[in-house]
Amino acid sequence: MGYKLPEKFVTTVVGSYPYFPEALKAFRLRKQGKKNFEYERLVREAIKKTIKDYISAGVDLISDGEQRREDMAVFFAEELRGFEISDYVRIFDNVYYRKPVIVDKIEWNHEIIVKDWKYAAKLSQGRPVKVTLTGPYTMYSWSFDKYYGNMRKAVFDLAEALSHEIRILIKGGAEYIQIDEPALSTNPKKEDVILAREALEIMLGRLHNVKRILHICYGKIERLFPEILDFPIDQLDLELKNSKYILLELLKEFSFDKELGFGVIDVHNEKVESIEEILEDIRLGLEIVPPEKIFVKPDCGLKRLKREIALAKLKNMVKAAVEAREKLA
Amino acid sequence: MEKYAGICGSFPRPPELRRAINAFNEGRISQRDLQEIYYSSLLKVIKIQEESGLNLLTSGLLLWDDLLRPFSEKLGGIKLGGLLRFFDNNFYYRLPIIIGNIEWREPITLNEIQILSRATTRRVKALVPGPYTFIKLSKNKFYRSEDALVEDLLNALKQEIEHLHKFVSLIQIDEPSLVDPELEKDDRRWGVEIVNELLAKMNVPRNKLLIATYFNLDLESYSMLLEIKAGLHLDLLSNKEAEEAVRELGFKNDVLSLGVVNARGIFPEKPEEIAANIEKILANTSPNTLIVSTNTWLDYIPFENAVEKLKILGRILRNMEV
Repeated sequence: MGYKLPEKFVTTVVGSYPYFPEALKAFRLRKQGKKNFEYERLVREAIKKTIKDYISAGVDLISDGEQRREDMAVFFAEELRGFEISDYVRIFDNVYYRKPVIVDKIEWNHEIIVKDWKYAAKLSQGRPVKVTLTGPYTMYSWSFDKYYGNMRKAVFDLAEALSHEIRILIKGGAEYIQIDEPALSTNPKKEDVILAREALEIMLGRLHNVKRILHICYGKIERLFPEILDFPIDQLDLELKNSKYILLELLKEFSFDKELGFGVIDVHNEKVESIEEILEDIRLGLEIVPPEKIFVKPDCGLKRLKREIALAKLKNMVKAAVEAREKLA
Repeated sequence: MEKYAGICGSFPRPPELRRAINAFNEGRISQRDLQEIYYSSLLKVIKIQEESGLNLLTSGLLLWDDLLRPFSEKLGGIKLGGLLRFFDNNFYYRLPIIIGNIEWREPITLNEIQILSRATTRRVKALVPGPYTFIKLSKNKFYRSEDALVEDLLNALKQEIEHLHKFVSLIQIDEPSLVDPELEKDDRRWGVEIVNELLAKMNVPRNKLLIATYFNLDLESYSMLLEIKAGLHLDLLSNKEAEEAVRELGFKNDVLSLGVVNARGIFPEKPEEIAANIEKILANTSPNTLIVSTNTWLDYIPFENAVEKLKILGRILRNMEV
């Protein structure tokens, strides 16, 4: 079943979607070491419900909702060789994650997200499904390192390991590969920005006929300029709504001309943005790139929102993009 | 020179408290049940500090969701906003949004300090967020004049600190924003002025007050911190220049707290090496009170690793006393 992406203002998501009860049950089974048939059934059910919501909202380019991933770093650390998982560390309020610990050389030794991508693609009614992977810089930054004692070496090994997964995904038909690097904006030094670019070269540098996306959010994104303009990517996916579009001036200054993942939904605020508000925000993007290069999307993953709110936000986002095609294109 | 060992700020919530908070938020246990678990958790954290050989204790700030939270929740004129990244950590705080006159209404952290001081015979330290950091990490939607905002915030913090000081040996005022490497010189100077203004307002002996900075320390920021008329806590692990700055510029006030144990990593340090290094750092300076401490709060590592870090602190103190 074919699905033709709109030529202008394509709507998309960053990756995660609020966890369905089935996903939460699956996390419990996973923690008990029971990655059995029931575990797989629960994950698939959660992905199925995510896709149903995306389609009902009308999102063009979707994801699997990351329903298998309790946390973006821990999940990959559990699947790659070379990691152990430590006890709980706080992220905010009373929300914790089990921080990974690097204890050996990092290596890929089995498929990690291929089956979820395939399953989502099967249910997507022809809509393309974006693959999202936590990037090597973030994986390293959000882990304790007891093995390498050398960030550069560890990041390159992570990039090599993730490249294996990417190659299999592309072979299977994936056309949109997104690397998530939220840690890159925390306090980047210039050498870190260069390191991140080198890691992206390993993962994405030699890819053809694939859309290469980099997602970055929350922090000092401005410090990644101008080096980020030379990253081997086709699309830069940014959190913009939350930071009140202050980055747009910078994008203008550097004559940004790649595709722009344009954040119009604040994922930390339960208030549902109105169609008019989103439309006005989309208008700001036209000062940077033409409608063909604007991908309308939330600032970041939606997993922290209640499902009803996430869905309502997506619905308004899609309606605003449809209006934008009529009024702004 | 009096020597102490104590943590910079928080201690990770014991697992039972973490679970109890979730249970309370989901309506599975009562406020009273939560209070009981909190109380036993606090006693547990006090005991861990004592058994590790620490002689300057904190409450572990077990109910603080972030540095600003108890204050942004209990001071008048502030509502909570969304989550924002706390400096360069994978840790987020809730943005305080100032929507009215900032007013101190009741003691904010007195209860935990009273429990702490009753439960131990050792010296204890209380914490409050500093005014500069509070302003830098908040959003002002109310005050038209920055001076009026500063005035009200200083008055609120002054009242809290004056309520606490009878129960503690030290009050730590956390000001990580003062050493933010992104700050312009004038902005940092303004921060130091605000802190000195707060110190001047309070009827509390200066040798009971400690301004804590962490996540950075370089020559430029340290030279400005030396203008603060109180003790200092310094993160010596944040920057290669940090130790050199202290060695080169010295320290003249009463209380110096050195953050020498890494609260953001799980590698165990060697106490003997750290103790010897502290002697070198202090070659040209002799504060009346020296505290060996973690570089920052212990929120960034798991509970069991934090217990190990405390043992290391205790061993550093013993090494220094030999």
